[in-house]
Amino acid sequence: MPLVNNKVGDDCTVGTDKALADGKALVDSLIKVVACYRHLASCVGSCTDSLQLRDELRQTREKAQNLAVSICQHLTSHLRDKSLPEEQRKEMELLWVAFSSGLELLHVDMCKVFSMGDIFSLANSASLVQTGLQGGGSEVAARALSLPDLNQARAPEAGLESQERSTMEQEISQIDHMIDDMEMKVNVLRWMVEPHGPQYADPLSSTDSASLALLSVDEEQPGHQPQSQHSHMVVFVVLFAVVLVATTLSVCVVFFS
Amino acid sequence: MKEWNIKCVNSFSMEKVIVAMQDPDMGMKMRNQRLLITVIPHAMTGRDVIDWLIQKYNICEEEALHVGGMLVRYGYIYPLKEPRSLVLRADETPYRFQTPYFWTSTRWPASELDYAIYLAKKNIRKQGELMEYEKERYSLLHKRINHTWDFVVMQAREQLRASKQRRKADRIVLECQEQAYWLINRPPVRSLTLHYSAVLYHTIESCRRALGRNRVKSSICLEGFVKFSEQYQNHDPIMQGCLPSNPWISDDTAHWTMNSEIVPVPTRLRVERWSFSFMELLNDPIGRREFMTYLEKEFSAENLCFWQACEDIRHGESSKIIQKVEDVYKNFLAPGAARWVNIDSKTMDKTLEGIKHPHRFVMDDAQLHIYFLMKKDSYPRYLKSDLYKNMLAKAIVPQETKKSVFPFMRRQRHSSPSPAQAVTQVTEEDGRAMGAGKAGTNSAAGSHV
Repeated sequence: MPLVNNKVGDDCTVGTDKALADGKALVDSLIKVVACYRHLASCVGSCTDSLQLRDELRQTREKAQNLAVSICQHLTSHLRDKSLPEEQRKEMELLWVAFSSGLELLHVDMCKVFSMGDIFSLANSASLVQTGLQGGGSEVAARALSLPDLNQARAPEAGLESQERSTMEQEISQIDHMIDDMEMKVNVLRWMVEPHGPQYADPLSSTDSASLALLSVDEEQPGHQPQSQHSHMVVFVVLFAVVLVATTLSVCVVFFS
Repeated sequence: MKEWNIKCVNSFSMEKVIVAMQDPDMGMKMRNQRLLITVIPHAMTGRDVIDWLIQKYNICEEEALHVGGMLVRYGYIYPLKEPRSLVLRADETPYRFQTPYFWTSTRWPASELDYAIYLAKKNIRKQGELMEYEKERYSLLHKRINHTWDFVVMQAREQLRASKQRRKADRIVLECQEQAYWLINRPPVRSLTLHYSAVLYHTIESCRRALGRNRVKSSICLEGFVKFSEQYQNHDPIMQGCLPSNPWISDDTAHWTMNSEIVPVPTRLRVERWSFSFMELLNDPIGRREFMTYLEKEFSAENLCFWQACEDIRHGESSKIIQKVEDVYKNFLAPGAARWVNIDSKTMDKTLEGIKHPHRFVMDDAQLHIYFLMKKDSYPRYLKSDLYKNMLAKAIVPQETKKSVFPFMRRQRHSSPSPAQAVTQVTEEDGRAMGAGKAGTNSAAGSHV
């Protein structure tokens, strides 16, 4: 999604341009956090489920909720402002639609995590499903919280499970109310909203910098680990080939001399 | 679980089986899956699954195959070699458990948004990897949820970036899990032409049904409604107030007593209503009685008796229907019956056929025929008759109870100021303050959209 960068603007649009840019940044951030939350949620109940995962889920959820609340306030106040110029309003409505879709996904994921937490209690780790996953989701959580290193976050505390469950119940209903509230207060006609992007998106490039502004984790870094494994393999194969060639040559020398 | 009724295995039981399989001591034997250089744990062969089921639940091979097949069909286990073939083979074919997040659940069904994001991810990951049916569905979704398409693409990108944080083995597992989930929830279509012809057939059927529906122009509908409202306005207790006084206000139940079902002398408004429509006359017990008296004078009372008998069949007890139909036939329809009704031959034949297998609505056609006969013929004559005119003259108009001397003992006719009066007040005010009023109503209309 191209950033709206209106350099030649009137005085009255400059303020709303900034508001638009702020809104975009917030929504982009929410989309990222929702994606990470979904990723972490898919590990609940599997063999990689642990106190740490649940704690990471909680932190990601809290971040998502804070973002949601601020976006809600931001967009509601701007969309109810009658003096908003038409183009800005269209952009705001796009953000609104993206926000409500993101909220929908977050709500479903929260409900699923809540009910699966019910079924798969960490106390009985023998019942966790062996899905073939091996690593934890700490890097994903770090990405969600925009922290270079998750050690900066608080360490998980034991006995927090029951407290978390009751909080979750409240939070789910809070998101529910937010969704209802939004529909009542602001009237966005979904069939009038036109997206910017094409139907088929371009593949991810490593120089995809549009949304990387909020990332503090380097894009190249996570690729390092598997790539280094791969490069190690290549080096070994080359060395082995060299050794093989050297042995054959020496054998030939020995035999034919 | 020796006797396991396979037929009532539901998702809850299947989940229990899966959890039982995880037991470190008594559960499934896990193997490693080798993919070139990557090794992924927690794979199992179909044969292992069958053997475990047989051993754990003490069932035969056939039952175990069936149960295992259900586990695969409902997505609790997915095949690793041929993902689109959702069957359990009792050989070395590898399978893996599906993560609980992707267990099929009716509480959170797979949504269109999710599917769009999945297809977008698949496309972004490797261009041209979408299959034909997936490309079609992608285009369809692009039309259906077009407004949120930017979100779909962005979310797909972010989900891909999130999974890039994991090691390769985990990434493969996650991709397989998601693919398996969508193969279950959005199964590939077998044949394009079959699919299209089914769709076309349904479209044609629904269009045909739509053509057959009765249509009335809205202007005609509204005219009818306006006429009805005008006709009934004077009879409406809220618009006109009720005489002698509103029982809810004055605690005087005279109004109800005077208008109860059977009274010696009906009120004037009530008798006037009989002239509005035939149904009004028939629905009023006194009206029906009067009409019967009139018909007896005209020697056509059997029509009304027949109609009443048919109503009784339609709305009466099921057990008595057969007996009642017999009686009606004997009294009204049989040739040479005591009170023979005049029905045209086609309807008579149809009814006689139907009587052989009597049911609640067997007399409907005949009843309708007689109803229209009475409505067109006897009813207008009744309204012009002396009987009706005398009734109208005799009808009482209750006096509005006088306001007593003490002002705070007023008996009110209206429950509150009539809405009709309120409307006229508002239009006056609007007429006076045009400019400001217009803006006000506009904003009010806008917020109601």
